[in-house]
Amino acid sequence: MMMTKRAPGLVRAIGGVGATVARHAGGMGILAWRTLAALVRGQVSLRDFTGQLFAMGVQSLPLVLVTSVLSGIVTSQQGGYQFTGSIPLYVLGSVVTSSVVLELGPVLTAVVVIGRVGARITAELGTMQVSEQIDALYSLGRDPVKVLAAPRILAGMPAMVLLVGISNLVGVLAGMLAARLTVGLGHATFFYGARLFWHSYDFFYSEMKAWAFGLLIPLISVHMGLLTRGGAEGVGRSTTASVVFMIIAVLVCDALFPPLFLN
Amino acid sequence: MIEYRDVYKAFDVPVLSGVSFTVETGETLAILGPSGTGKSVLLKTTIGLIVPDAGDVFIDGQSVFAADANQLQTLRRKAGYVFQNAALFDSMNVFENVAYGLPEGALKKLGRREVTRRVARSLEEVNLDPSVVLTKLPAELSGGMRKRVGLARAIVGEPQILLYDEPVTGLDPVNAVAVDRLITDIAERTHVTSIVVTHDVEGALSISDRVSLLEGGKLRFLGTPDEFRRSADPLVRAFADRQAAVEAALAGSARSSRMADAKTPVLP
Ligand SMILES: Nc1ncnc2c1ncn2[C@@H]1O[C@H](COP(=O)(O)OP(=O)(O)OP(=O)(O)O)[C@@H](O)[C@H]1O
Ligand SMILES: [Mg+2]
Repeated sequence: MMMTKRAPGLVRAIGGVGATVARHAGGMGILAWRTLAALVRGQVSLRDFTGQLFAMGVQSLPLVLVTSVLSGIVTSQQGGYQFTGSIPLYVLGSVVTSSVVLELGPVLTAVVVIGRVGARITAELGTMQVSEQIDALYSLGRDPVKVLAAPRILAGMPAMVLLVGISNLVGVLAGMLAARLTVGLGHATFFYGARLFWHSYDFFYSEMKAWAFGLLIPLISVHMGLLTRGGAEGVGRSTTASVVFMIIAVLVCDALFPPLFLN
Repeated sequence: MIEYRDVYKAFDVPVLSGVSFTVETGETLAILGPSGTGKSVLLKTTIGLIVPDAGDVFIDGQSVFAADANQLQTLRRKAGYVFQNAALFDSMNVFENVAYGLPEGALKKLGRREVTRRVARSLEEVNLDPSVVLTKLPAELSGGMRKRVGLARAIVGEPQILLYDEPVTGLDPVNAVAVDRLITDIAERTHVTSIVVTHDVEGALSISDRVSLLEGGKLRFLGTPDEFRRSADPLVRAFADRQAAVEAALAGSARSSRMADAKTPVLP
């Protein structure tokens, strides 16, 4: 009885969420399309693009390095603890490498970039929206998509590819070092284990995630920024919503990767 | 020529309910009206920053709301817009802000020297010293200075249409008069079509060819400054003459205090 009474409300709620997601996805699709058009027509300022690339890639590097080192150490230690006695220790090399390259590198880097870059973009564009700076751009015959959105969206992918690559390398090296210090696993044995289960495809898989996240993060953050209404409070609201959307989008996308790209 | 044809716009409540009028080429029209009646909304519809629920605006015969993206951009480039709160780009310094008012690619086409010269001239026109403000960020300026930088950004591209949203609000009397004179100067020099939204009635009467009063979603009055001064409409009188405004305000507070007496007091 309860179920039948509640179901319509639940269905409606799910339908509402679905409609909202569809509306946002539509808006972001248009944004991506217009960015591509601006790129093809050569209307994106190289200077703005490199500026954004620097802000996203280079300035996020310190924090990405910290999370990568820690994720490498943690996986290595946890594996070392679980394997003691039962499984040959060289397997640790494979576990650390796969965890870091396939999962932790891309996802943790994405989370860092969401916090450092995604939130900033939404707050920045949101503030420009509520203080009429976006209107000012229009009034001067400029297109905010070309001027503001395109450089940010286009810089996201190369920045993520770069960061994830570095994060993978640093994470594995940190795991290797931790394995030696905690369970006394030598570098050569670690590498032996790593190579035993390594597919060169894993590297592409990791960087494919980087491309996907690198597109999603700035696309969502720009979209949410431009949708902002209602003063300083509105900027706060849309920044929070944007971070939530980005995290969910990245995790859902990450969950879709194994069925789509690993067999 | 700018023609507003039956413009309707509602947000939560109706704001514009059928506004129609025409501003001739080279004319300066002032729009007066109580705070919150939709003057800024009306001005924004002119270049499509706000899309009306019904009606249209025509600039030199070209519809703003039937225009495609490229046509709209061309229309907007014809116009300079002075925002009520300046709306300067706060990541850019004053030079970059004003230079943004020049057409895209101006730096390449004109060269840095010429761009700097034009920016400096616009700043001087609004009574700002380029050597002092050029490298400052908007956050480092006073409110009145920001306002004038916004004005400089709007005029630097020498548009054919100028839309001013309260250009003198927040300025000291000397600068207010200077800006009023600038508006008339530009109008005479370049035959620009200007619409000036303002609360400064005296300034409006002295700089404009015609004056209008927006109230209750409609143009309540439209006529020459002389007609405005002689109008018998009580609201126009309240705007035209300080004594009438005082009486209107007193009548208003008497009415609201009677209403407050009738009910229980709302707030201490
Ligand atoms: N973007 C918007 N969203 C919702 N409501 C709006 C928006 N812009 C304006 N309004 C509403 O429209 C009405 C008119 O606003 P507008 O800014 O045009 O007033 P105004 O005549 O310029 O007043 P003032 O002289 O104080 O500047 C107000 O009630 C305002 O709340
Ligand atoms: Mg206003």
